[in-house]
Amino acid sequence: MFDGDLPRRTVMKAAVAIGSAGALSACLNRADGADAPTGDPDAKPSRQHAWREHVRHDDHGNTQLPAHQILIYFDIDGAGPPADDDRAGLVETLDGLDRAYEWSNDGLLHSVAYSPSYFDRFDVDPAGVSLPEPSALSPFESPTFDRQDAVLHLASDRPEVVLAADRALRGERETANGVTVPSLTDVATIDSRRTGFVGAGLPAENQDAAGVPDSRPVPEASPLFMGFTAGFRGNQATESYVTLDSGPFAGGTTKVIANIRQRLDDWYDEQSYDERVTELFSPGHAENDLVEGVGETLGADSGIDRFVDDVVADAKEYGRVGHAQKAARANRDPEGNVRLLRRHFESTDDIGSEKAVASLHFPSLQRTIAEFETVRRSMNGTDATAATPAVRQRVNNGILEYIFARRRGYFLVPPRRHRALPTPDPE
Amino acid sequence: MERRDLLRAGGAFAVASMAGCSSLAETQAGGVPSVLEDRPDGVYRPTHVEGMETVDTATSGEYAVGLLYSYPHRFWNVNGDDVSLTEIDRDDAVHLMASVWDRESKTVLPETGLSAELYRDGSLVSQETIYPMLSQPMGFHYGANFGLDGDGTYDVRLSVGAMQIRRTGAFEGRFGDPATVDIPFEYSENAKAEIDFRQLEDAGTPGAVDPMSMGSLPTAVAPAESALPGTVLGSGTSNDARLVVTVLDDPPSGIDESGTYLAVSARSRYNRMVIPAMGLSATLDRDGETIADTVLERTLNPELGYHYGTVVESVASGDDLTLSVTVQPQTARHEGYETAFGGLLGGMPDLTLGL
Repeated sequence: MFDGDLPRRTVMKAAVAIGSAGALSACLNRADGADAPTGDPDAKPSRQHAWREHVRHDDHGNTQLPAHQILIYFDIDGAGPPADDDRAGLVETLDGLDRAYEWSNDGLLHSVAYSPSYFDRFDVDPAGVSLPEPSALSPFESPTFDRQDAVLHLASDRPEVVLAADRALRGERETANGVTVPSLTDVATIDSRRTGFVGAGLPAENQDAAGVPDSRPVPEASPLFMGFTAGFRGNQATESYVTLDSGPFAGGTTKVIANIRQRLDDWYDEQSYDERVTELFSPGHAENDLVEGVGETLGADSGIDRFVDDVVADAKEYGRVGHAQKAARANRDPEGNVRLLRRHFESTDDIGSEKAVASLHFPSLQRTIAEFETVRRSMNGTDATAATPAVRQRVNNGILEYIFARRRGYFLVPPRRHRALPTPDPE
Repeated sequence: MERRDLLRAGGAFAVASMAGCSSLAETQAGGVPSVLEDRPDGVYRPTHVEGMETVDTATSGEYAVGLLYSYPHRFWNVNGDDVSLTEIDRDDAVHLMASVWDRESKTVLPETGLSAELYRDGSLVSQETIYPMLSQPMGFHYGANFGLDGDGTYDVRLSVGAMQIRRTGAFEGRFGDPATVDIPFEYSENAKAEIDFRQLEDAGTPGAVDPMSMGSLPTAVAPAESALPGTVLGSGTSNDARLVVTVLDDPPSGIDESGTYLAVSARSRYNRMVIPAMGLSATLDRDGETIADTVLERTLNPELGYHYGTVVESVASGDDLTLSVTVQPQTARHEGYETAFGGLLGGMPDLTLGL
């Protein structure tokens, strides 16, 4: 399958994107001498979502998310509350991962999160946190809801690390990085496995996926398929902000994960650069030439706060409104703090088929799911569509024309101490 | 149908075939006449008319949806004041069209928003947000050109967005949810090549082709003036959009205001197709004084149809009503409509009516 001359890094990256066991073994056979730093379960942060201080940052302090990520959705075997044996089994598995790898982008970051369906097993809602069932959040979407019991999120800058962990979790090998990791399949059934990547170079490498035009328009410098940087430090919530501060799940957070298909033919071929800046950021960004290239001139902040009150006026003046300005206006608390911590990454998964299609896995962390829902609804720009027929439900309305939500799930990320099959009110 | 209009495109097919084209789609595209250099600034008879085939209809919730197809079309996209030609791409195999209507009243529903997914054997072929369009034979619909992977069965999933414009009367509270329908599409190039294609000898002259019969599918034709509720006080045209003004003593239910309801029904000259998605404002002058200056809101009502409406304190004989189009109809245009209603050359003059 792989040419012997391919550089190892290229093979590894291809293997995560492809995700097949065959690719993995090709990958691991080549991973000789690439041992990742091992870890100590007692040296891990108390928050599962404590990633920022353990990953790379750019010159502006913006987080560089781990380049390779895998989401494993699983269901606990049997009905009703999970058995103590299953809980003990999952503790062994997660502790195994912690021993196998350092908690860093060079080792492995991971977190496990639980859905409303999981807590339904107890017939009791989780204490101190609102965890609703997922719902449609726009006037036009009808996504499939992820209602598996839980999702385990793996992230590393080393493709061989996420792949080895993934393979151990799926029971295809007994160890990862030389450390025994009991399989997740001892206690659960894996329902869905989704893979992805983020960071400069990777979207450009993967742009032969369907959904990206044949003109190969994704710049090498872009961390995302749409050609721009996102997730500037100044436009992200801090980990502390999104952390639950009371109740048995204090130290945890809530997590929304959507999967979004991207259809970028018209984005790239029908629109000019300035029109893309207008639709992704705001008309003011284009008018004032605030963005160059993939957005490297923006530094640590997209500058969107200047334009959040202009949505309706911009709709009338320009006949277009920006995605970021619509979302950001609902993404600030009364003190001006950002509410959501977005950790999205790209993918060529087309869930349910083998075809490579450009998509986006969109995990977002926030104190309450309701905050996410408010921001997502704000993206609908219904006030802009009411203000002028030039802005339509999905056309000239940010990036709604090009993105199609296919999946959405809501989860609770417990603090580390309760990460293994928690009861709704753990001690 | 007038015989002098007709000229089968057989000649065009034959010439292109001799040029060695193996694909009928390319052959047909090769036979499409050029856009006329000298076009009237208004509705005109296009260079050619393509027939269309109904693939099927399906229902979900309150909606019925029809899927139709034809040869790939060129059309003009409208964004604000900007009107730009979208040419047929060499990979385009079909122009897919969708029409959405109310299952109960058979009223065509503009401005729902629509997207289409095409699958073959469970694998994605295409997915697009589909633009609203106006064509002479069909009026308002959603349409886009698509490339296909050759002959075969495609599963087409159409997603209808919830309506966001105001609904009144018996439509109040309706069409507020999205819906999805799946329609299988058996495609073959040979079957497509059977679709009627004719050139018009009088292309470029003012006028429009007749609405095409679409079997059981309703067309987006505006009510006749005589069928509009209330008192029709006048009408006029602005760049071939006919604006018919009617007033009702009270606003329809769903409008929480009291006063006289002023409604403007916009339809194309010649064939009365509904013209949606305009920005329209009105000024009412009485005895030299402006007594109302207001935006007319895009509204759907069972009796008035799609219209632009507002509540004013009163309308009296002798008032002057000035209608101003602030945003031209935000629908893509098929040939023959691209210079009308604003369009390529812009300009929808104000219309002043003595009431």
